[in-house]
Amino acid sequence: MSTTVVVTGIGVLGAFGAGRAALLAGLQAGTPRLREVERSAGYHRAGGSRLAALADLAELGALVPPALSRRMSPPARMAVAAMQLALADAGLGAGVDHASTAIVTGTAFGPAWVTEQLLRQILAQGPEQASPALFTESVASASAAQMALAIRARGPNQTLTQREASDLLALGEAARWIREDRCERVLVGVVEEGVPILHALLDRFQALARADQSGAERARPFDLHRTGLIAAEGAAVVVLESAATAAARGAHPLCRLLAHGAAFDPTAQAHDWGHGEVRLGKSLRRFLDRSGVAPQAIDLIVSGASGTRLGDRLEALTLRAAWGSLPLPPILAPKGTTGEYGGGFLAAALLAAAGERPGPTAGFTTVDPELGLAPWTGGDLAAPRLALVSALASGGAAAWALVAPGATNAGSGTPADSTAART
Amino acid sequence: MSADRPVAGRTAGTPIAITGLGAVSGYGDGVEALWAGLASGTSAIGPFARFEHARFRTQLASESRAPAASAGMQRSSIADRFALGAAREALAQAGLPSQLDELECGIYFGSSTGGMFESESYFADLLGEPRRAARIGRLSAQQTCSPGESVGRAHGVLGPVQTVASACASATLAMGNALAALRAGEIDIALAGGSDSLCRLTYAGFNSLRAVDPRACRPFRSEREGMSIGEGAAVLVLETAASARARGARVLGWLLGAGASCDAHHMTAPDPQGAGIARAVEAALVDAGLAAAAIDFVNVHGTGTPHNDAAEASMLRAIFGDRLSRLPLTSSKGAIGHYLGAAGAIEAVATMLCFLHGAVHPTPGEGAVDPALGLDLVTGSPRPLAGARYALSTNLAFGGTNAAVVLGSAT
Repeated sequence: MSTTVVVTGIGVLGAFGAGRAALLAGLQAGTPRLREVERSAGYHRAGGSRLAALADLAELGALVPPALSRRMSPPARMAVAAMQLALADAGLGAGVDHASTAIVTGTAFGPAWVTEQLLRQILAQGPEQASPALFTESVASASAAQMALAIRARGPNQTLTQREASDLLALGEAARWIREDRCERVLVGVVEEGVPILHALLDRFQALARADQSGAERARPFDLHRTGLIAAEGAAVVVLESAATAAARGAHPLCRLLAHGAAFDPTAQAHDWGHGEVRLGKSLRRFLDRSGVAPQAIDLIVSGASGTRLGDRLEALTLRAAWGSLPLPPILAPKGTTGEYGGGFLAAALLAAAGERPGPTAGFTTVDPELGLAPWTGGDLAAPRLALVSALASGGAAAWALVAPGATNAGSGTPADSTAART
Repeated sequence: MSADRPVAGRTAGTPIAITGLGAVSGYGDGVEALWAGLASGTSAIGPFARFEHARFRTQLASESRAPAASAGMQRSSIADRFALGAAREALAQAGLPSQLDELECGIYFGSSTGGMFESESYFADLLGEPRRAARIGRLSAQQTCSPGESVGRAHGVLGPVQTVASACASATLAMGNALAALRAGEIDIALAGGSDSLCRLTYAGFNSLRAVDPRACRPFRSEREGMSIGEGAAVLVLETAASARARGARVLGWLLGAGASCDAHHMTAPDPQGAGIARAVEAALVDAGLAAAAIDFVNVHGTGTPHNDAAEASMLRAIFGDRLSRLPLTSSKGAIGHYLGAAGAIEAVATMLCFLHGAVHPTPGEGAVDPALGLDLVTGSPRPLAGARYALSTNLAFGGTNAAVVLGSAT
């Protein structure tokens, strides 16, 4: 018998603050919290983008003791803090033995600040000046390792990096581990930091939203006038268990992961999205077919569209290709509010699928005729019976997940068990 | 777990066929060059020219020649080119077409630094004056996921592409993910592998930890002082037995099981008792449906650092008991250095070559084998091992990440 995989806890932090309530409040406000990025290092080009959705790391002190925090990179601190929030949310606080707790993290860029500092030491001061402490924290898996150390989680530990698809790929691997009975629970962590050099490099790649006539920098997912994404930082950790494990300890599932799938667009450039919407659309449709889900059964799409020209185009046309002549369900694009970081997106998507009232898609005003798609910007929106979460990454990777509310809804037409489907 | 105790617990998974191997190593391009070098008992570790390193604490590495960039791939990183070279060879050996868009195929790669070498050049320009000399195009293939994506792009892959970045266990974990995806029926064929290139960051970083041997590394020797860093790539074509059969592909061997765990002990030092890696090995054996007694030889992580080799010896003793002193062990790192995120892939390929050549390759390294470890390390020349059926390959990483795979011969 297949195993039903459920989410029993979510911890999240970002520019909006810390915790599920803070994220939901931020999403419902529909206004991204942006701050000026420090430019004194001189990495930025003149006239480039200025803003990012940055977290207040001072808030983390209550979640990560300073003695531990000192040994961690900024993303590891955020990941451990989000983990503590998630474990508390799941009712897995102090006293729980994590011998069979696994960890999968996803990150697009890894510990950028630590890497920058280490390279400065090596290149400017000489290789003998390289700090061993910085080197240890420079690996992409440092956050996963620090999470494991903080709670002595001895199950499998893995970090995936596939740009904007890292989040859903990590979620999919974690679900598989539960189905395969490789561990009792998996903590899925997604973390990104927003440091000046990363912001400057994204700006030089012309990935960031440019200021409009009023001087505002906004991500405008799917909008005709979108100019790029808003860089963001933060972390999310999601607790996955089997439904049976959750029930045995009296935990209430927030949502169920029904299926996950992944594909690739080989037309993508190394640093941008491609134009493989026809084949990606077929892959998405096959994923739905093989999961036993008709497009009409999907009540909500939570899209990773972030306001980039090519990325949003590919997302919209892929969805339209998959749905064919059928009308698309309401589409949310939370990165208009959270900015581009996988943790905020993943948490927002799971909460929306769980039936929490999401906010409007920030920044959208005008339909792009080529895309022919308008995201939900407010008004009535019924709690979904089944949601599709979509993440298309620059560089070509694509990942999807089907998520339903926590309580099994017999007769709803949604598959009851978790699967991984061919795409 | 004692050597003679039957394995219980989770049900064993379905074996997955290995139908193609590819490698770019310090011995040259291709698996033939790799085996010739491994069998020679000489080390590929020596002086290198990847970057200026006179001011670094140590002066040796195992450098590989990067295959030429093909048309449209001129901005590829060296790690990308290693990956592309290994993938080309593996696909050809498997008898698969260059373009895979008609097949249910995915890519599962491991890497620790991707295009870091190229990033360093960009960053050096960025720190200099004038800063506009830093050309952003150099960073096109900077990301750790770039080698796997490059393979996907070059071969028209339409299935899943994912990159594990768990430091030195990356490629082994990636093989485990590929194994799971194949068993679950998500794909029919996977290119599983890893690629990493030498770069200043890892070279200086491991030296800052005093983890690099000033001489060529000497795994499990009494006088061992650390690792030697290497670079290159390896790719294994994995496919379901049904797919291999339907294509009439020659099965070179089998990927039988995978296991993983975390020490949760220290960011860099392994659990001195090897308890964490022992759990990963036990999980891999269970996944393969084998008792430890069935294992014919082990390609150990064997970096040559005092702590790693001692911890691994403790783990091996716990798993294999008294049989350990008679169980042939080898460490590919003694020959080609530590390929970091790609280590698990090149070592899996080396293990398969041992099966295919009926011999366990030796572990180069000066000095006597540490008698305190109680190991049967193969040294000098290949040790014939006719009829060997099962082998174990292990990898440990920063943060206490452990991974193991069980490989089987074709027969």
